[in-house]
Amino acid sequence: MSASKAARSDLLNDGRIWKGRVDKVNAELVVLTYGTIVAQLCKDFDSDYLQVNKQLDKMGYNIGLRLIEDYLAKSNTMRRCSNFRETADMLAKVGFKIFLNITPMVTNWTSDNKQFSLVFEENPLADFVELPDDGRAQDELWYSNIFCGVLRGALEMVQMQVEAHFISDVLRGNDTTEMRVSLIRYIDDELPPEDD
Amino acid sequence: MPVQVYSLYIFDRHTECIYSKQWFQPAAPAPSALPSTASDQHRPANGTDPAITAVEQPPPAKPRRNKGGDDAKLIFGTVFSLRNMVRKLGGDDDAFISFRTAQYKLHYYETPTNLRFALLTEPGALSMRNVLHQIYINLWVEYVVKNPLSPVEHKGGEGVRNEMFELGLDKFIRGLM
Repeated sequence: MSASKAARSDLLNDGRIWKGRVDKVNAELVVLTYGTIVAQLCKDFDSDYLQVNKQLDKMGYNIGLRLIEDYLAKSNTMRRCSNFRETADMLAKVGFKIFLNITPMVTNWTSDNKQFSLVFEENPLADFVELPDDGRAQDELWYSNIFCGVLRGALEMVQMQVEAHFISDVLRGNDTTEMRVSLIRYIDDELPPEDD
Repeated sequence: MPVQVYSLYIFDRHTECIYSKQWFQPAAPAPSALPSTASDQHRPANGTDPAITAVEQPPPAKPRRNKGGDDAKLIFGTVFSLRNMVRKLGGDDDAFISFRTAQYKLHYYETPTNLRFALLTEPGALSMRNVLHQIYINLWVEYVVKNPLSPVEHKGGEGVRNEMFELGLDKFIRGLM
């Protein structure tokens, strides 16, 4: 830990630009950690899966609020996207690529360019996962719902209020894993308080 | 090329000043040992020798010393207005970069998350955009955002003044001077 911090400040001192460095973490550790969280939530909320979805979304939201800054630092794109289509592309091809090394497909745009789907061909959170066999989880639990929250939190920080939810999941026996993302509005800059 | 850095201000998206730090005063006040007549004598030479005027001219920036909070508000108001004006004239992608007075140069940098950095340096400094960008990605993101125990919103500057950030910033800025 201290060694990596020392190395980091050396980079600073040299004046070298620090970019493109992405730490790697064991994929199975992520799968197991996330799985444990979902399992614990199911236990805590007595298999009330709607509550579990909600909690996962909330956790994701709090992650997203921070993750966006890391995304901006790592992707080195300090420019705002010019439209929502560009946002979707950056999100799929840069964001998911940096943090999960996957590139979900952006598709099913509505004609007003305010709604699209992300189709996940692979989902690193869901390896080894089988939903509980209680006859309800298959219909109610969105296992990867944390993603929805992450997108919502991250985009809110760059002045986009969005709504995101899953509409299908291979874990439930669907053919694809698909998330629907809708732009609600662009958030205006906050103004400084009026002087007295 | 060494550059004199005077101060740094960071504003969050709620327009609050969440961090400020002074290194040097722009145009340091004349040493108290200096007789006032000396500075009077030099006043007519105003503008011919910047080194002398900078030291001995009664600095217009003197009252700022005790009013850090007011300064921050004034600076925010100024950079916010300038930024809005620049965008109105030059399009949404245009960015206000710096302005300069006889006493200092203010460098401005804004992230897409509406975090705003304002750095005051000596008037002759070159662009410090890259410096501010480095402060953002190497210090702010690493030590403030990624600190799991620091809050997401830094109301009143909470969670910003941690040791890693303070030390890293001071080292980085002093490395420029």
